[in-house]
Amino acid sequence: MAGRVAHPGCGGSLKRLAYVLALAAMFAGSAAAQQAAPSAGSAPATEPKQEGQLPPVTRECQIGAMDVVTQSPLPNVLKAVRERQKLKILAIGASPVVRRDSSAGDYYDLVEQLLEQTFKGLEVEVVHRGVSGELARDAGARIKMEVALVEPDLVLWQLGTADALARLPIDDFEDSVRTTLVWLKEHNVDVALIGLHYLKSLAKDTHYQAIRRALKKVATEQGVMRVGRYEAMETLARLRGEQGGQAGRSRMTEAAYECSAEYLARAIATGLFHKEKPPAPPAKPIN
Amino acid sequence: MPRAPNAVDFWRGFALVSIFINHIPGIFFDKFTHRAVSISDSAELFVFLAGWSLRYVIGDAGRPRPMHEVVFRVGGRAVTLYAAHMMIVMLAIAILAATARLLDNPLLLEWHNAAAVFYRPVETHVGLALLTHQLGYFDILPLYVALMLFAPFLAILDRIAPALLLPASFVLYITSLVVPLTIPAWPIEGQWFFNPLTWQFVFVLGLVMGRTSGVGGWVRRHIVPIRWVSLPIVLIGMIFVLTGGKWIDPTSVPDPKLLFINGKTFATPIRVIQFLALVAVMSIVYPYIARAVPSAVGYLSMLGRNSLEVFCAGSILSLICQILRFALPDGILLDTLLLIGGVALMGMVAWLAEWRTRVVAVA
Repeated sequence: MAGRVAHPGCGGSLKRLAYVLALAAMFAGSAAAQQAAPSAGSAPATEPKQEGQLPPVTRECQIGAMDVVTQSPLPNVLKAVRERQKLKILAIGASPVVRRDSSAGDYYDLVEQLLEQTFKGLEVEVVHRGVSGELARDAGARIKMEVALVEPDLVLWQLGTADALARLPIDDFEDSVRTTLVWLKEHNVDVALIGLHYLKSLAKDTHYQAIRRALKKVATEQGVMRVGRYEAMETLARLRGEQGGQAGRSRMTEAAYECSAEYLARAIATGLFHKEKPPAPPAKPIN
Repeated sequence: MPRAPNAVDFWRGFALVSIFINHIPGIFFDKFTHRAVSISDSAELFVFLAGWSLRYVIGDAGRPRPMHEVVFRVGGRAVTLYAAHMMIVMLAIAILAATARLLDNPLLLEWHNAAAVFYRPVETHVGLALLTHQLGYFDILPLYVALMLFAPFLAILDRIAPALLLPASFVLYITSLVVPLTIPAWPIEGQWFFNPLTWQFVFVLGLVMGRTSGVGGWVRRHIVPIRWVSLPIVLIGMIFVLTGGKWIDPTSVPDPKLLFINGKTFATPIRVIQFLALVAVMSIVYPYIARAVPSAVGYLSMLGRNSLEVFCAGSILSLICQILRFALPDGILLDTLLLIGGVALMGMVAWLAEWRTRVVAVA
């Protein structure tokens, strides 16, 4: 099980602390040498070892042929696993979620566990930087800082619900998400988007649905993985019979989180199994 | 009688109104607050002025208050702030819960980091009491509490070695940026949105700049050249923000990265420098504003004189405004009504606080 971090940029912290104290005491100016050099890249490239097949989808999360994940290759995740057998994930966005059972960890721990069970020897570290209620535009600015500090291979970004509740203009939301996704791609960081929540009463909320469509559109346009939490939750609700009272809806929300985490982990694992297709043979000239 | 309007109260009132607006995401008037053209925002101003006001408690070098009195007063202030924070957090939780029931929308239970309160109450209530669990937009007062708990040490250091106060604060600031050091959140993993280890530097800057001796005295004597140096910094900062802040790629700057990037959590140097420049430039405008719109200055000064009460009211009002913006058809009309209503209610809270003080004084 990977250790959790409580501070950003954990690599070389003690060295840096010693460096700063020495600097403060002696005003010695020899800077950069003390910075811990990243060791990535020295290990020989290896394929991720698959422990076995992906475990079957749990019964609670089976939703038939409904496709709730927009699959996408994860080249940077694959590279990290091949070269380091270690995967660093930055969890960011509007909703740090909890489970009722505190001993079970949070939903990102489910992702971590499933990936570590599936790939033998893989160490997964999830760095939590969620700020509840944070809008996509604010998260976009913070993602850049956190990517610089944490140096993740993958960003899990929950977004959309806070923007929809705050009635943010659709175009602003779309632009913010697109700009951040382009920036992440340029900086060789894979991303998985976790979309909006489902609630039956919100099915007729035009702004909520517009934000949902905008997210789907940008994710498709940018070719990034998207977990359709709304679709998953809607299907689960339909299969189990609609949500009923407060308690039923609360249970449904929890189930949706559990299942979204499972779908996400499976999608990442599938992304790791993804083999780049060999280049197509040149087409024969047609006379 | 309440004190007459002055620059500190005015700017504090200005910060309170800005925070109120900034805490209603999506409101039309957000683009007219100074963060739309400034790297720093009202949070820096609020913390800086809190430090500035601390000098009234500590006393001046010429007329120091007894040390035990300073420690007890500052410690008592921390307890008051803590109690105020607890009250508004409980109110916020109740508002979210009631609205979730009223609108039949359980999503509201998860808004602003409240999910843990409802879904995992045992640990989360401990976290709320320890300030390790903070609701979204209710995270400035925990910083203020931490700073006031830290303040007795500042007061002692200020008394025994005043020249060391700012350097000691700076060393802690730089250390926290370079390592970096943060305060972890619990039970939800993460960290404090406002890192007290770095924000204490803004607080201490307010304290030393508020003085007419030492650094504050030097700044006052050289304010004209300082303004000329500051003006281009403010203008460059404005262009930086208006162009989307794309000049600095956080991944491309050298280590330690926090020294070079823009991060509100850490009150990074780029923000602090721009903020100080902004303060220097804007320090010239108060007399003109006071002459041009004395009623507005009087009103904002009244808010500033009663900053804790107004801040608490503003926090709750901004949450209510968020809910109303979600529940009602949105538009400029609604946003205008919310702004006018919110600022008026903040004024009423300030007026009531002063009325109560007057009544107590008469009795």
